[in-house]
Parts: sequence; C-alpha cells; structure tokens
Amino acid sequence: MTERYLILEDGSAYAGKAFGSLATTTGEIVANSTMNGYQEIISNQIYHNQIIVFTQSSIGNTGLDQNAYESILPSAKGVIVREYENLATDHFKRISLDRYLKQHKIPGIYDVDTREIRHHLQRRGNMKASIVDVADDHAFDQLHATVLTNQQVAQVATPKPFPNPDEGANVVVVDFGLKSGILRELSHRDCNVTVVPWNFSSAQILDLDPDGIVLSTGPGSPANLPNSVLDMITDVQSQAPLFAIGLGHELFALANGAKITKLTVEHHGSNHPIREIITNEIFFSGQEQGYAVDPKSIDHAKLFITHVDLVNGTVQGLRHRDYPAFSVQFSPDGAPGPKDSVGLFDDFVEIMARRRDSNDDRY
Amino acid sequence: MTIDIKKVLLLGGGPTNIGHENELDAAAFERLMALKKTGAKIIYVDDNAFSVTTEEIQPANVYVQEVSFQNVVTIIDKEHPDAIMATTGGLNGMQIAWQLAESGILASNNITLLGIKPADLRKVMDNQKLRDTLTEINEKVIASKIVADDDEAMDFVREVGFPVIVKPMSSSHDTSRFICNNTDELEDALDVSFKRTYIKRCSIEQSIVGYKEIEMVGIRDANGNKILISGMEDMDPIGIHSGDSIIFAPTQTLINEEYQALRTATFRIMDSLNITGTCHVQFAQSRTDSNYFVTKVSPFFTRNTILAAKATGYPLTYVSSFLELGYNLTEIKLPSRYSKFLAFMEPTMDHVVVKIPLWPFRDITDVDQHLNTLMKSVGSTIGIGRTVEEAIIKSMHSSQFSPRDILPSVSTVDDDDVINQLIHPLASRILILMEALHRGFSIDELSELTQIDRFYFYKLNQLLRAQDFVVNNPLSPQSIEIGHKYGFGDGMLAELWKVNISKIQQMNENYKNHVTYKAIEPSAGEFLECTNVFYSSYELENESRPFTEKSALVIGRGGNQLGPNSAADYYTSQILRSLHKCGYKTIIMNTNPNAVSLTPQLSDKQYIEPIQLGNILNIIELEKPDVVILPGNRHYLSKQLKQFKALNIIVLPPDQKIATYNQKKATTAVDLFIEGNEILPVTTISFVGKDQLTDLRFINDYKEPMDNWESDEDKLIANASKNIDTHEWQGLVQVLYNTNGDSKYEMTGIRPVRITETAFLTKTTGINWINVLVRKYLGKLDMVSLREDWQPTEHKRSAIMTAHFPFRELQSGRSEGTTKQEVGSSLSFKNFE
Repeated sequence: MTERYLILEDGSAYAGKAFGSLATTTGEIVANSTMNGYQEIISNQIYHNQIIVFTQSSIGNTGLDQNAYESILPSAKGVIVREYENLATDHFKRISLDRYLKQHKIPGIYDVDTREIRHHLQRRGNMKASIVDVADDHAFDQLHATVLTNQQVAQVATPKPFPNPDEGANVVVVDFGLKSGILRELSHRDCNVTVVPWNFSSAQILDLDPDGIVLSTGPGSPANLPNSVLDMITDVQSQAPLFAIGLGHELFALANGAKITKLTVEHHGSNHPIREIITNEIFFSGQEQGYAVDPKSIDHAKLFITHVDLVNGTVQGLRHRDYPAFSVQFSPDGAPGPKDSVGLFDDFVEIMARRRDSNDDRY
Repeated sequence: MTIDIKKVLLLGGGPTNIGHENELDAAAFERLMALKKTGAKIIYVDDNAFSVTTEEIQPANVYVQEVSFQNVVTIIDKEHPDAIMATTGGLNGMQIAWQLAESGILASNNITLLGIKPADLRKVMDNQKLRDTLTEINEKVIASKIVADDDEAMDFVREVGFPVIVKPMSSSHDTSRFICNNTDELEDALDVSFKRTYIKRCSIEQSIVGYKEIEMVGIRDANGNKILISGMEDMDPIGIHSGDSIIFAPTQTLINEEYQALRTATFRIMDSLNITGTCHVQFAQSRTDSNYFVTKVSPFFTRNTILAAKATGYPLTYVSSFLELGYNLTEIKLPSRYSKFLAFMEPTMDHVVVKIPLWPFRDITDVDQHLNTLMKSVGSTIGIGRTVEEAIIKSMHSSQFSPRDILPSVSTVDDDDVINQLIHPLASRILILMEALHRGFSIDELSELTQIDRFYFYKLNQLLRAQDFVVNNPLSPQSIEIGHKYGFGDGMLAELWKVNISKIQQMNENYKNHVTYKAIEPSAGEFLECTNVFYSSYELENESRPFTEKSALVIGRGGNQLGPNSAADYYTSQILRSLHKCGYKTIIMNTNPNAVSLTPQLSDKQYIEPIQLGNILNIIELEKPDVVILPGNRHYLSKQLKQFKALNIIVLPPDQKIATYNQKKATTAVDLFIEGNEILPVTTISFVGKDQLTDLRFINDYKEPMDNWESDEDKLIANASKNIDTHEWQGLVQVLYNTNGDSKYEMTGIRPVRITETAFLTKTTGINWINVLVRKYLGKLDMVSLREDWQPTEHKRSAIMTAHFPFRELQSGRSEGTTKQEVGSSLSFKNFE
C-alpha cells in the first residue's frame, strides 16, 4: 500500500494510502456530504478540476453500475475517503472503484481523517490541493504555481451535436458539462432530445425547432464563458420554454442581468432544506454548488426568486416574468440525491405541451 | 397550525419485554422534557417498575397502572384530557388509540389524537385497509389474505404457492410470524396463530424470504414537509426478524437509485396517512432488480426509530413532539447546543453504526434457539466507527456477555455444523460467518447459502486478515495501527498478545497513537461542535474536550439481557441525576441504544463505546474524572479498574465485607440503611413466590410493606437492627427472615439490597435511595434531613412489584422463572382496606 499525500494550498498535508491512479494531480478541494451515489458524484462533470472529499466514511460498497454513470469520461482530479471497498458487482465482477479510478487516471487517497478535512475546509474555505507522492517544498511550490484552467466547459462538453431520439417533445439540451441524470429524466418523459455544444448560437438552436430548451449543469464559474452564451440565452428564452439547471441556472441569471458570487465554502450535499416560496414547502435535492446568484442583483422586473436554501440563504430557483423560462441551482434529477423535486421535469414537459397546443391554435 | 392543548395524556410503554426495551421510556422521557416547554399539563400512565419518566412528573399526574384500554378509559373519565399522545406507547399504545377512536370515546370526549388522525390510524392498524391504501398510491405489497380457518388458508396457498408466512391478526405483540414451506408447517403455524389472535383471524401471505430488509425512518409536519432521518439495512435477509438482525446505518449495499426510491416511497406513505411526527417503514428489496415491497408501516416509536436518532444524532424525539402538536419543521426551536438549522436539515452521517441483538439463550435454554421470523432477542448493543470493520468489531465486543476483551471462538464447531448454522443461524451467527471464511468457504458460496450481501463478507474477511496480521506481528507499531483502524482496541490487542494493557499504552505513547473522539451529529461536519455524544477512532482530530469543572464518569451496563438490566438502566439514570445535583459534570459510557441513561438530557456528555477496559481507560485518560461510578456487580471490571490506584472508583451497590448470605430461603425482609454506626430502617418487604416457593432464586414479586406489618413490623425491624454488624455492612442492606405465617420469624441471612429492589424502594418509599447511596459514597450525605424525611412505619398503601418473563414470546413451556430470567417488571399500588 503506497503512502501518498494530500497537500493543501494553506500548507496542510495529510498522509494517506493510495488507491486508483498514481497520478499527481491538482484541483480545488471540495467536500461532498451525500451518503449515496459515489459513482454518480465521481462521474459528474461538475467535478472537473476538483478533488472530492467524501464525508461518507466508506465508498465503493456497491461496485460500479452501468446505469449510474453521469458521464462516460469523468474528469475529477481526485477522491479522498476514509475507507473504500474494492467490490465489483457487474456481470463479470470486473469493475471495482479502484479499477475505475485507474482507468480514468483519477488518484485516490484513503485512510485519512476526512472529518477533520471537512472541518478544516469549513473554517478555511475553498482552496487548491494536490495529490502527490512526497509532501515536500517542491510539491507545495508546484501547487502554488499551478493555475487551473478556466476553459472547463470546453474541455468536458460535447464538441458536436448528437440526438437522443424518442417520440415526445422536441428538446434541445445545451451541454455545458451535462450530467446523464438530465437526459434520463427527459427520456422517461419520451422527449426527443438533441444535445448541442455549449457554443451553439441561438440561430443554430432555433433552427432545430425546439419545443423547449434545457441549459445543462457543468463545471466552474459562469464568468468563464463568453458573452455570446448570454446572448444566446436572451435570444432563445423568448422563443421557447427554457429550463436551466446548475451552471445553466447561473448563466440564465447572468443573461437576465443578475450577478454571481463565489461561495466561501462550496456546498456539495443533499442535506439542506430548499423552500419553494410559492407553496412554502421544503424539500431536499442534490446540491453541488460553488457559485450563487446574488439576490440583491436580481432585476425584479425580469426575474423572481422561486426557491431558497434555508441554511445558507442562497437563491435556488428563478423564473422569468415574461417568458416560460425557469431555473434551479440544485439537481432535481436525483443522481445522486433525493428525487423530491423531480416533478420540475414534468412541469417543463407540461409547459412545452401547453405552448405547442396554443401554437397549434394559431395556425 | 399548532394545536393548543391544556392537558395531554401520554401513554407509556409498559414493562420491558421482547419487542421493546427501555426505548419507549427513553422516548417518553425526552418527550416530557419537550412538552414541559408548552406549558401543557401532562398525565402519564405506565406500570413499568423501572420507568425514569414517571419520576419526572408530579406524582398526582402519574397513573401507575397497566397501559390498557380499560385503564385509559377510566383515566379519561377522571382527567378529561384534551389530547392523547400514544406514539410513545409503541404498538400497544397505538392499539389503544385505535380502540378509543373506534369506540367513539375520542369523539365524545372531544379529545384530539396527536400524530395521526383516527381515520388514518385505521388505515395502519387494519391490515387490509393498509394494503388498500398502499395499493392506491402504487406501492407494492405482497399477495396476502385474511383467513378465518384452515380451509381458506389452503385455498390461498393453492393460488400463490409455498413458501408463505402466517401471522395472527391483532395479537398482543408484534413478534409472531411463521414461514411455512409445506402443508405440515402451515398447519402448525395456523394452530399457534389462531390461539394468539383476539379476533380469530390470521393473515397469510407470499413469502419474500431472502430479500434484503431495509428500514427507513422519516418525519413529517402538518404542512407535508418531510425529512428522512436515516435508512438502515439489516445484514440478515428477510426471514430473520428485523429485531434479531444485525443492522447497519447508513444502508451499505443499496445503490443511489434504490435508496432514493425507498426514501420517496416512505414519504408517499407518510403523506397518504397524513402523519405528523415520526414513521418507521420497512421494505423488502429484491437482490436482483429494483423491485421492492412495503412490509411494515409503524407510525409510532419503535426500537429502530430510536436507533435512527442515535445513529444520526438528530433530536428526533424532541422534534417529533412538536410535529405531533402541529408545529412546522421550520418553527421548532431546538435546545441551544444544536445549530439552529439542524431541526430541518436531512441528517447525513460520516460514521457507521452496527447494532447487534442480544439473545436470552444463556438464561433460557429450553427454547428453539434458531433465528427466524419470531423475534427472540431481549436487547441490543451498538458499535460506532469510522470504518465498517471498526463498527462491526466494536458492536461484537459490546455484545459479548464476558467483559474480557476477546471474542469467543467457535473453532470447535465441525464443518457440517458450520454449514448447518449458515443456513439455520443461531445467536452466534456472526462468529460462524467469520469461522466459515476462516475455513476457506468462498464469498460467493457464503452469500448464496446465507442470502447475505457479498459486501459484508468482504468486510469480515478484512477483519480476519487484520487479526491474522496483528497476531503474527506482536507488539509492532504497524500491528497497533492496523488493530486500531479495525477497532480492536488496546484491551483486545493486550489479550491477543497476552501482555498487560499498560504495555500497549506505553507503545501508544511512544508512537503517538492517540485515540480521538468524534462527535455524532447529523451534519457530517458542516456545523462545528453541536452535540455532546462521541465515539472513538484513531485519527487526527479529537473533538471531545474534557470538562474544566469537577466531573464524574458513570460506566453503563451495556445491552439489556435478562435479569436486572432494565432496573440497572433506571439505577444508572438516577446516579446521573444525583451526580448532577451534587455539582458534577456527568459523563456516561454505554452501548445500549435503547437505554434511558443515554438520553441527552440526563448527562453532560455521552460516549458510545464498548464497556471494555481499554475503552474505559482511554476515556478516563482524556476526561480525568474526579470519580468513576460502576453500577452493578461487575467483579471482573471492578477488579481490573482497581489496579489503577489513582482512580476514585465507587461500585454501587457497594461491595460488602461479607459477600455471601447464609440461607437460600426467605419470605420476609427488613431493609436497612447503614451509615457509619447509624442504622436507619427503610421498610419491610414480603416476598411473593409462585406456589408458596420460598427459594430466593425464584422470588420475583415483592410487596411493601410486609404482610401483617401492623403487628409484626416493629419487632422485626428491632431484631434486624440488633443483628446487623455495622462494621461489616454499609449502605442498603437486607436482613432476611423466614416464617410459616405464624408471626414467628427466623432470620436466615443478610445481603445487600439488589438493584431491582433499590429501584422498587425508590419508587415506593418516596426517598431516592440511589441518590442517598451516591451521596453517601461521595461523602455528601446529610443524615439529619434524611432522618427527618423518612418515617419508615407510616404506610399509607402497599406496593407490589411483579416480574415478567418472556416465556410465552419464546414459546417456552415454562411458567415460573428465576430472577435471572426476568425481562421486566410492573408496579402497582393498592390502598389499605
């Protein structure tokens, strides 16, 4: 068992044992407190450039399931856990967590006090970290010198459009680092999906004659994307129902004049109650967020807040006053996390149907 | 909208028995603390002789009576409460609530049933209505039918085929289910079941033996907001009663999709029943696909509701009290030690909890000891760790009857027997699984035979490998590191290496292997320092800070077994209360998730750790308590601890100079309290043995004061006081007498007053004798006021404590038992004619 180190930008070093790949990597370190779905978490493109600390003390218990990948080529920079189990449950009992991480060149460290790391991050906030062989000055120098790319979306989103055919509503999904959960939910509702690259123009999107448009989740700051993306959103939101999730939600807010702030401590988990303002109901959902819409910056002539996080007060949902366009910060697809708000996809399909019907009336 | 109540009747859980331990008393106790904040008057009914809750209520508002429909009706007539809380009464409490609703008593007295509306309660208590309700919301239930005779049962089986499960309907306890694989077994099962049902109906259903058993505990408020407190997974498949299963929290072998489906189902069920409060739902999850069935819905307090709370650190009982009163989750104000958000955050865990049941087969041998659908365990212990292995090994340690730090060996069992026990498990289940691995059975083979997920065998295998490594590399720093990671503890290492524990402690010091304590709290580290419950691990960060004030450590008794255990829990709780009043910060160490003594309101800090020498010493090392109190006669432990001269150890009941008493027969006793040279008479007792038995081992019922007390008590007390030697006896002492009923008493012996009877004396005499004992040994006893308070021969009523035995539940033919076979006791008072 190789001893390796997790080193943090603030000078902390944690000795642990290696599993997965033996690569040396650098990324932002974040803690995720969701108890189920390590496979979904690791394969979510939102973790591009990030090292994930699992607060759940033991992962790998159920192997890897062909139906539970959130992307085919995961891009997380590391996995930190107290303990992992190297069990395979696929037909040939081949693919265990260790093997999966090796395949995708993701290093892992176990046998570390992840609860202490969690506390540390709560106190000190987000920072860079590396997984290295030796925790010497050289390693820390490298860590400090590393500049993480701001071209994250371009690195994980599809460069070419592709279809996911079905017989229902015609949905264009704009891929900013799409998680499969969104496609699964659209498929459950028979949507005829076309996934298009993040830099598709509004004209290219509208040429596909969508009944509705989804702006997907994805990694990094929305500020890293060019203004052309915001222009695309302002163009399409008046033309077809729009549902934006995660990074898509942040972009939707930006396009409508709101500002985005970076959270001191990223929130990754499914334990925060989210209040739906109109019904006053609270529910839970997977949340993976490093950024939030600044509520003070919202132009109330254009947008109104539909959901808030009751713990950190962040905006969790927005709706446009003039168009059938709405967005949520959290992941209603429940991969992983509770499916309490999966009905948002039904709402979206219903809005598309109503829109189609009213259009039919016109002709 | 909150319900405004002025007077609420709270139903107690009754004496402990198979199916429920002290958890209902613990829940009622915590609930009481919450209800006090509402200003409502609380009426409580319970005849549990060892209830801590009844101590906390004005005696005038406590009805020490059996929790039965008839008694509750009488209390309602007298007290006119405007609400009833039945959920802390367990299944019995809910059945009474149902009867109250069905008979129209709730409506005619304008009483609100809290937690669930009468119309919805009917949907839960009536099996067929529950099936209809679940089917309506598209939740699957197994094919089943209610039958009135054997012919109807046979017709059903011809339709669905064997195996089937037979259950009596509306039976007095929730433990009986019988799996039948053929006609003979079916006939036997119907025979027993028809005897147990009150309404001459049995249910018969398709068997799903071998499915995973998953349990979910959720809460819901009047607005329909819901939180899942915890998912739990039974290691043993369906076919072994959940109460006899080894349980893991959180779930270990469910993928996210399966987990979320069950979570959602739990919420839908709570919605369909309009529950405001807590609900425990059990599921059978297929091993091969995403199929599942709902197997049980319990909208009241159960063992595993409490386990969910203990495992996550979520203040479930407190919160659910307010939910039942109609508060919304966001309106509930938690006690100040919690983060203000915790009430409405979904708990997330960063540790593993394993619960192992304890069975009574050491004390009751003449019953079928196989684990099956009939629940047989009488208690349980939990182990908590940061790794699965650590939690398993700690729970195994805690579940051992021996305080020695080593696991028993089953290596003498022959191969055939191992296979037999894999298929037909006994209480030694987990040891046999390990032994089979040790003998080279493959994991796939074992999983096939036992229907236990492969994951668990991987973990047990890791433990075996770790143990081999440790044994083969004695006293090496690496062995200690591996041992600690897997939860072996210094005591176990010392036993494995046959060295004194101080040697290991020295090595820990040299290699800086310091134990750390982690908080059990529901945010997985998101909020810092918000609870005072801890477990150990060997990691970087220690979160438990020793008190700066003077402190006392109380070493709990661990899991309930038969004998004086629920009394010992009461005793321990009173010790904590007493220490608190004496100005100590109190620290309790225990492993029983159902113990009242572990409720957060009863102590300043709780450690859930195996009651083993190594673990105790580690806590002492950190906390440096001014006094360590060891309740109960635990000679091995007290001997071990007394080697450490610096410790101030108080054993209660106190060790006497003479440990034995002369005779085994007695009918009557004089209880005395001795402080120095002073003898204070406490009271007199008559022993009530079945069939005039006077053998002390069979004396289970006590009456205070003694029979013929008017004429005989004074002279007997004088005689006892004369015969006792205060140089030899201190504290609470019992002088035994035998009589043939002719006012001639022959003194037959002297013994310390046992824990059970000390509890009884505290309940009946109005003086808390446990408090008196604690003060005596702390040197803080005020004899003057004790003398003033206590008038021993002024009896206004007689009190009777009656022991209960689990013979019927275990299907034993016995009727009379020994003190070692008691499972609980009930208390009753009678006014003199």
